[in-house]
Amino acid sequence: MLAFLLRRIGYLIFVVWGVGFAAFFISHVVPADPAAAALGSNARPAQIEAYREKYGLDLPVYQQYLRYMVNLFQGDLGNSLRTQRPILSDLRDFFPATFELTLGAMFFAALFGVPAGVIAALYQDRPIDLGVRSLALVGGATPVYWLAILALELFHSRLGWLPGPGELNPYLLEPHRVTGMLVVDAALAGEWQVFGSAVSHLVLPAAVLGAFSTALLARMVRSAMLEVLSQDYVRTARAKGLAGRVVVFKHAMRNAALPVLTVMGSLLGSLLTGAVLTETIFSWPGIGSYATSSAIGLDFPAVMGVTLVAGLVYSLINLLVDVLYGVFDPRITYA
Amino acid sequence: MSRPRVLWTLLIALVATLFSFGAAQSAQQQTLVIGGDWTDLITLDPGVAYEFSPVPILDNTYQRLVQFQGTDLSHVVPDAATSWDIASTADGGSTITFHLADATFSTGRPLTAADVVWSFDRVIQINGPSAFLFTDVAGMKVGSTKALDDHTVQLTLPKGVNPQIVLNMLTFNIGGIMDATEVQKHVDANDYGQKWLNDHSAGSGPYMLDRWDRGSQVVLVVNPHYPKPPAIKRIILRYMQESNAQRTALKSGEIDIAYNFTPDAFKEAESDPSLNAIKTDTFQMAYLGMNSGPNAPFADNRVRDAVRYAIDQDGIINDLLAGLGRKMQTIIPYGLMGADTNVYFPHDLEKAKQLMAEAGKSGGMSVEFLIATGACTGGVPCADLAAKIQSDLAKIGITANIKQTTSAQLYTIYRQQAAQLVLAAWSPDYPDPNGNASPLADYNAKSLAWRNDWNDATATKLATEAATSTDPATRKELYAQLTKYVAENGPFAMLYQPVYPIVTSAKVQGFARSAQGDVDYTAITKLP
Amino acid sequence: MTAPAFLRSKPARRFLRNPGTVIGTALSLALILVALLAPLLAGDPLLQHLSDRLQGPSAAHWFGTDQLGRDVWARVVWGSRISLRIGFVVVAVSLLAGGTVGLLAGMLGGAWDELLMRVTDIFLAFPALILAMAISAALGPSLGNVMIAVAAVSWPNYARLLRSQVLAVRTLDYVEASRALGAARFRQALLHVLPNTITPLLVQASFDIGSAILTAAGLGFIGFGAQPPTPEWGAMVSETRNFINEAPWASSAPAIAILVTVLAFNLLGDGLRDVLDPRGRTRR
Repeated sequence: MLAFLLRRIGYLIFVVWGVGFAAFFISHVVPADPAAAALGSNARPAQIEAYREKYGLDLPVYQQYLRYMVNLFQGDLGNSLRTQRPILSDLRDFFPATFELTLGAMFFAALFGVPAGVIAALYQDRPIDLGVRSLALVGGATPVYWLAILALELFHSRLGWLPGPGELNPYLLEPHRVTGMLVVDAALAGEWQVFGSAVSHLVLPAAVLGAFSTALLARMVRSAMLEVLSQDYVRTARAKGLAGRVVVFKHAMRNAALPVLTVMGSLLGSLLTGAVLTETIFSWPGIGSYATSSAIGLDFPAVMGVTLVAGLVYSLINLLVDVLYGVFDPRITYA
Repeated sequence: MSRPRVLWTLLIALVATLFSFGAAQSAQQQTLVIGGDWTDLITLDPGVAYEFSPVPILDNTYQRLVQFQGTDLSHVVPDAATSWDIASTADGGSTITFHLADATFSTGRPLTAADVVWSFDRVIQINGPSAFLFTDVAGMKVGSTKALDDHTVQLTLPKGVNPQIVLNMLTFNIGGIMDATEVQKHVDANDYGQKWLNDHSAGSGPYMLDRWDRGSQVVLVVNPHYPKPPAIKRIILRYMQESNAQRTALKSGEIDIAYNFTPDAFKEAESDPSLNAIKTDTFQMAYLGMNSGPNAPFADNRVRDAVRYAIDQDGIINDLLAGLGRKMQTIIPYGLMGADTNVYFPHDLEKAKQLMAEAGKSGGMSVEFLIATGACTGGVPCADLAAKIQSDLAKIGITANIKQTTSAQLYTIYRQQAAQLVLAAWSPDYPDPNGNASPLADYNAKSLAWRNDWNDATATKLATEAATSTDPATRKELYAQLTKYVAENGPFAMLYQPVYPIVTSAKVQGFARSAQGDVDYTAITKLP
Repeated sequence: MTAPAFLRSKPARRFLRNPGTVIGTALSLALILVALLAPLLAGDPLLQHLSDRLQGPSAAHWFGTDQLGRDVWARVVWGSRISLRIGFVVVAVSLLAGGTVGLLAGMLGGAWDELLMRVTDIFLAFPALILAMAISAALGPSLGNVMIAVAAVSWPNYARLLRSQVLAVRTLDYVEASRALGAARFRQALLHVLPNTITPLLVQASFDIGSAILTAAGLGFIGFGAQPPTPEWGAMVSETRNFINEAPWASSAPAIAILVTVLAFNLLGDGLRDVLDPRGRTRR
């Protein structure tokens, strides 16, 4: 187990380094000039020169890379060319909102996707199964931005059931910042009105972001359940007259948990970046909006920072899923 | 807490917010929420900021020596200075002596002449994106600003700098006066307090910066030391990129003012009694830049004229902008001294085709058409505007192949004189005709005339003369000649001067936005 | 009446038994047909009539008009060419690149395998949309760059798939046998491994056509896609999204086109898997 962990952590470091390396070189083939982006349309040539010098943009690429790596080892991701702040502060500001949104989406996916898959499997080929499968197919093919626009138009503009874009009713003061996730911070501060507002603002974007995952999860759970239900010991148990429910929950759910875990893990990793489109439409102050503005502004240190963190999170989640696999499935050995 | 109780608490909290806004009612009347796309906010340091969004924020947190009154940009009025005298110096330059009023910073310290000197010198030392206004336009150096006593500041300007232009320029946030003592306390590694000023303010304006949650909101609160407390105690600028999001938020009362309505949505808002649709001025102009260098596609002025005849300006303004724009064909827009509103090129396809034939291009030509991503000035997507222009040009045989890039790439190419045809916008750096004349007409200013490789001795001479002349009547005459000349010979096809559409809730009273983007928040009140 | 022999074969019966498969196949074929016949089905997608902007659906404009008075039906129909081209090119490139890497890793084994698979991991860990944005921002938005960007994030699937197939087949007797006979390693690959991996690759590819189209449209939506005024579906949704209130058809028509296309290829993938790969070796 320990050897397995060590090897995996070694991989993880290599992968994260590789992600950063690739991001660095992609952002340095840029034919455009980041200084031009940062200084705007009216800037004088002399200003641009001074700026390039200040940020070392006039150095050869390999020297810039060395500089970057040296700083990185000191825990410094560098300064954003656009916001002029340390990338770490920017990430600290923008990351929690995305994390909150992603957790919301996962929660939504689990809340609806798992039961839908279980029910569909139990009633295989009945109308309810067909309904779930059709919905899942459509959900997996719908462009998330269009869903976001429609949801906002319907549930906010037309029906007025849910609040619009943003994280909080602007007339309420944000709670003291602890985690940066408003729902959590409000709860910690015991400010229930703020909490309610934050939760109600979260519902729509989380549901939209979670729609694709819900669809995928429903499909996965369904097929995993079917496989388990068709296995001898379950059929035997059912035939023995055990109540259907007990069988399902005792045996089938436990065995179906494995593929579900895999899907949830990979979804969490991909959601972090999948949030880009949703965040734009819901004015959500998250890492996706930050990454988009940074990419447009050719702010490559910022793009690098986001990429590194996202790569790290993705790799950590994968590692975690692999370790949990062992917990759920004792047949797996960490050779 | 037991599990059911937690659930109940959550439910009650949810219901409470969904259905009752009553508790926050009185606070609401003193809070103003403005929704807009503030993604261009990079810094809230008045000495460094050079974008559109920070303008109203900084002008309400930092006093300048002089300011414009509301939307009237014709002459400056007192701000931190009660009066000023302009005098000539022996070497042909000039001095402006400012007499300061009694003012108090939000930190509680009084504003003194030393603070003015420190703030101005700081701009030059940092040498940020806006510093050229001081160093190039006003010819200022460290030491040009001197404190004669606690309440008197003297600014010395070299020969060839027009003090009237400098006064206009000092209204811009670059002239913001900060509490030197306070800012010096927060200097980090020679940054002149730049980092600290992003999350705090140290000015004597009516408001002070409470917090800036990046990507989410900027919050201003009343400066407790400001002599006349304004009606609105808290101003929240909420980030909302999507125009549609702003519209729904305004309708549901989550915001009071929306900055980015699309022209079509604005038209609809005009007939909605719960909303005020306000057309505010800007000095921005959308234009086509045509590369006029020796071997460039638009080297022949007849081809440039053909383009000017071919563009359907009325169609662009009436349909794409839903009327939210003015027809402009010269380089000095409405609102500035010397504005030339003549129509030199009526839409005339026959004339345009004839000019193309005369230039030997009756067989047509093909150019690369560079445009930016996102919205162009006036809120119309650049892609739509470009598609319309492309179809206009196709009618006279010009195939414009659209190449859309991020604005960063666009400016990199444009700055190397490498753009063939470019769709861009210009906005003067200070409200004076020279803010347009010099960059657009004078090749040596290394700005737009240069970028389009248009080197014209007549235009350069006229622009330089007009800039240094101090007699308003002479200047006006020179600008009249210049605008006509550039309209007929220059490398531009001007498209329109947008009207900036702002929609407020009908409860908001007293909102006005100047062509510079400035808003006096103290003039605003909210009905219950 | 008896059905032709091929319809009575086992895979064909499995195919026809599943209505989703039939629908997916029919839809995919119909879409390809629409793309091929675009000039016959619709007029000029670029023709502007500013006086007729944002008109509702009518006999003249089946899907209404957009903000420049262009026919939305024409733009959706012509847009199918772009989306399908993106889908096919991306999958072809990913298959070629990922397939080669996977094949090499599987055949060479040892340190090479380790290295190639870790490189694959790097691209899997790369946040897809951000990578695509960075590539697009660096190289400039264009259809070609969109394809590069999407292929860059989708090839690792093929590398993994092919490698695992190679490893599975390598242990089979006949490969061992041919190795004993001294056949060149790469001939082994071509002769024995490839035919056995066609099935899962085909299934994976039809799923990926759908997801490539979806990702590319997402890039188009945030402005990193095709050059205007190209009728690219994602960009069309983006350009017309502010008119959702007064002209919902203008953004919904291209969005539904994306949905239907992705759905069609997903159904096709499901069907192919049921028919060709009933044991479900394909990762999804």
